Amino acid sequence: MNREPKVAVVTMEGTNNEFEAFNSLKYAGAAAEIVHIKKFESGARKVSEYDMIFFPGGFSAGDYIRAGAIMAARIKAKLLNDIESFVEQGNLVMGSCNGFQVLIELGLLPNTQGKWETEAALAVNISNRFEARTIYLRVRKNNCLFLKNFEDGEVIKLPIAHMEGRFVPKSQSILEEIVRRKMNVLTYVDSMGKEADYPWNPNGSVLNIAGLCNDRGNVLGLMPHPERVFFRETESDWTRGENRQGMGFRFFLSAVEAIKEKF
Amino acid sequence: MKTDLTGAMRYTELNDEELSEINSRMHLGLSLEEMLRIKTYFTNLNREPTELELQSLAQAWSEHSGYKSSRNYLKKFIFGLAKEKIFYQGDAGLVSFNDKLAVALKIESHNHPSAIEPYGGAATGVGGILRDILSMGAQPVAVSDVLFFGKRSKKGFPSPRFIEEGVVAGIRDYGNRVGIPTVSGGIFYSNDFVPNVLVNVGCVGIVEKDKVLGSSVSKPGIKLIIAGGKTGRDGIHGVNMASSVIEKGKEDATTVQLGNPIVKEPLIHAVLEANDRGLISALKDLGGGGLSSVIGEMLLAGNVGGSIYLDRVPLKEMNMRPWEIWISESQERMLLAVEEKNVEDVMDIMDQWDVTAAIIGESEAGESEAGDHLKIFYKGEAVMDLDLEFLTSTPLYYRSYRQVKKNAETTLPRYPGNLNKILLKMLEDPNIRTKEFAVRQYDHTVRGSTVIGPFSGKVSIEGPTDASIIRPSWDYNEGLAISHGVNPFYSRLDPYRGAKAAVDEAVRNIVSSGSEPLAMSDCINAGNPEKPEVMGEFVQMLQGLRDSASVLEIPYVSGNVSFYNETGKTRIPTVPTILITGKIERLDHSLTPDLKGIGNPIYAIGPPAYEMGGSLYYRMLGIKRSPVPDSDPNVLKDRKNRFLEAAKEKLILSSHDVSEGGMAVALAEMTIGSGIGMELDFSSFSLRADVTVFSETQSRFVVEVAKGSERRFEEIMGSQAMLLGYTSENFRALRGEERIFDLSVEKIRNKWKVGYQ
Repeated sequence: MNREPKVAVVTMEGTNNEFEAFNSLKYAGAAAEIVHIKKFESGARKVSEYDMIFFPGGFSAGDYIRAGAIMAARIKAKLLNDIESFVEQGNLVMGSCNGFQVLIELGLLPNTQGKWETEAALAVNISNRFEARTIYLRVRKNNCLFLKNFEDGEVIKLPIAHMEGRFVPKSQSILEEIVRRKMNVLTYVDSMGKEADYPWNPNGSVLNIAGLCNDRGNVLGLMPHPERVFFRETESDWTRGENRQGMGFRFFLSAVEAIKEKF
Repeated sequence: MKTDLTGAMRYTELNDEELSEINSRMHLGLSLEEMLRIKTYFTNLNREPTELELQSLAQAWSEHSGYKSSRNYLKKFIFGLAKEKIFYQGDAGLVSFNDKLAVALKIESHNHPSAIEPYGGAATGVGGILRDILSMGAQPVAVSDVLFFGKRSKKGFPSPRFIEEGVVAGIRDYGNRVGIPTVSGGIFYSNDFVPNVLVNVGCVGIVEKDKVLGSSVSKPGIKLIIAGGKTGRDGIHGVNMASSVIEKGKEDATTVQLGNPIVKEPLIHAVLEANDRGLISALKDLGGGGLSSVIGEMLLAGNVGGSIYLDRVPLKEMNMRPWEIWISESQERMLLAVEEKNVEDVMDIMDQWDVTAAIIGESEAGESEAGDHLKIFYKGEAVMDLDLEFLTSTPLYYRSYRQVKKNAETTLPRYPGNLNKILLKMLEDPNIRTKEFAVRQYDHTVRGSTVIGPFSGKVSIEGPTDASIIRPSWDYNEGLAISHGVNPFYSRLDPYRGAKAAVDEAVRNIVSSGSEPLAMSDCINAGNPEKPEVMGEFVQMLQGLRDSASVLEIPYVSGNVSFYNETGKTRIPTVPTILITGKIERLDHSLTPDLKGIGNPIYAIGPPAYEMGGSLYYRMLGIKRSPVPDSDPNVLKDRKNRFLEAAKEKLILSSHDVSEGGMAVALAEMTIGSGIGMELDFSSFSLRADVTVFSETQSRFVVEVAKGSERRFEEIMGSQAMLLGYTSENFRALRGEERIFDLSVEKIRNKWKVGYQ
């Protein structure tokens, strides 16, 4: 079947990366739609109508309680079962920044116990301030469907912009499971590609974890923003570099290709 | 039955003393002359005014809303310059970007609120400027903020540090939450801003040309819908506060509005969606003066009258008096004029985005004899019935002015030797060194369209940029450049040259990024306009803005004047902050200051001269009087055209404008983001070495040119280009026999990064 993958970019008041997420998906060949969470709640839209759900960054409901908490609570109230079965059927879910926080709150990530429980938190950065800059990441692609267009071990650069991004697992055993199953697919590193402390690890995440992918490889959450560097000309150091594809393009193309393979 | 909420008050029989007493008790901020004008009006009508009518007139006639001291002079000097390039003017000004798109821009001050309540003042400054752009039907794409703080504390006022932290946090929390990147700006430190800090906030937006919205309602039966935040008591009399000097212990924080970006964010979506579907006839944002200033202007502009029902306005507080609802400056509110057939669709869109909205009135046919009237009702009773012509006829003043001639002789200090040491000291000066501690807290990549941000270079060692470039639409490979220009140190010594230098710097910054300037917006900050010497400076400054823009043919499409920035004996210099936008035809032609490779020639564009007044060098030496650099817009225009020709041919690899600290600081800053140094020789300049490298003569650039392109570059630039040397490992420079600079690039970077790393 040769149709465009249908992707919902879920918004509510305060989510604010839907513009670049929508455009990144569209320019990567998906039929993207910005869907207010109300439409899922009222039944005007169904999760099962889509091939992929994207949770964009921002400050859902202002994040005045805890990043992502209110959006996650709204989803839990009415949509959690739909999303869980959506994931179980092998469909794709991605969340960046605030969207990653939502996926953690919902228990979609890391979900090492398979019980869809909240197993970790994204706490306030160790610098105790909002950090907006470009960071280096090492890719360990494992079976992650969103990383198909990357080399294993490749060092890439992505922008971050967050106040709460320090990954903290609920227990040591959860952390061990994450490592054992190679779920920590994106790790903060220094310019030489080695794991290093702040400022290279911009928030103080445990094991320099920047992004997690679930066991099955179809749910990715990450603090950095691939949707903001779809084009090479939006990478912060592009005026110094060679002409090549944008980093964000590679993420979204991977997702679109993975969906099309299932058709 | 008339209740105490709606009844008329005794006014027309009062004597001057009693009128003054009412003026201060009701916080009207009117002059006696204006109070008497109101008295005559109601005496002729043979009735007494209501409380709401008086408050409404006070709002409309305030300096803040009415520009009563500045409008005559603005008209005379800067309105109408390069008019043919203006696409449309309203709450913001627009210029054409390409066949399909127009750019909206505006910069505005939020000085008084930020001095009283830094966090809320700065946050709502961002909120207000976003609404100005939105009210044109445009999508905001970038925020810029230029801040001016004091250095020492003054008894009875908050400390400069407290104010700075509050302002930065306010901009951060509002801008980041609403999801518009903060990409440009500046922070200045000078004791001229104790305790009167300045917060100048700008915004740039993009709109399809056929979707630009006006703000006039020109036929009867159009429904007026208020959308967004609910109305409360916050920000009552904000415009009156902004129209008077700040006195110790007299600040009233209830005059500062409370911002809520999480209401604003969906409001932007909802309004733009309704506009996209062609459902809005006219649109205006509720800022200073609230409903009172917006509705009158909307109806008057289209020669109609109207009725408003205040009890339909959604409130967030109980027991508000009608006049409080009418003049409240609660944030995140827009007024939409919508044809009856579209009302249902508009209300549906608002509901989809969870935005509160209510129909509060409608336009009516003008009453021919008495003119167009605005009638306001509260719970069935009329609380206002004023002729719009009178309500909006702000008295305009030609305030008297006196121009103080400040003679300044050229002073030349003893040659200091050791320029290395001076350069390092300059790099760590608070006005020069990195502002990353603040700017890295602002999200500058949201919307995924930031091509050049506030910093550039290798990741983790980035240096400064001259202008930011945004890709306003992913469908086009064109860039929208954004920057600013201002120099409070020049303006303090010479308001005329200071204004010209502000325009010069703004234009330089845009050109240095490889872009052609399109349009400017001016944010003018000054002291008490009732003082002739302040008006004298104001007029000199306007003459400067005019002389530069008329030669350069770049219009001021919008602007803002903030007077009364003074306290006791201290007042700020009369200083304009220029927000500027430009266009680059191809994104991959964008230029940044970080050096690109070893062995490339470095050129200066334009020679230095003996112009040191207000310069960083003379400020460091404590020399107070000396002529300020004088920008020649003809020279700037010629260099701009040559520069852009060379940039189009891709001869220039990196570029930086020469501003504070002269060529020395500009060249040193080019090494920061690259780790690449340069070997330079300044022997060909006839001026003394320190003047050569630290002079702040205007209209100049330093550039790295691609190796092998020297001949073509020199051909285009003519005598303007002077070869200084070549990129290499360290930062070294000769002047005759003297080695004036010998520094490692790490040392330069570490000094510049003081306070951040």
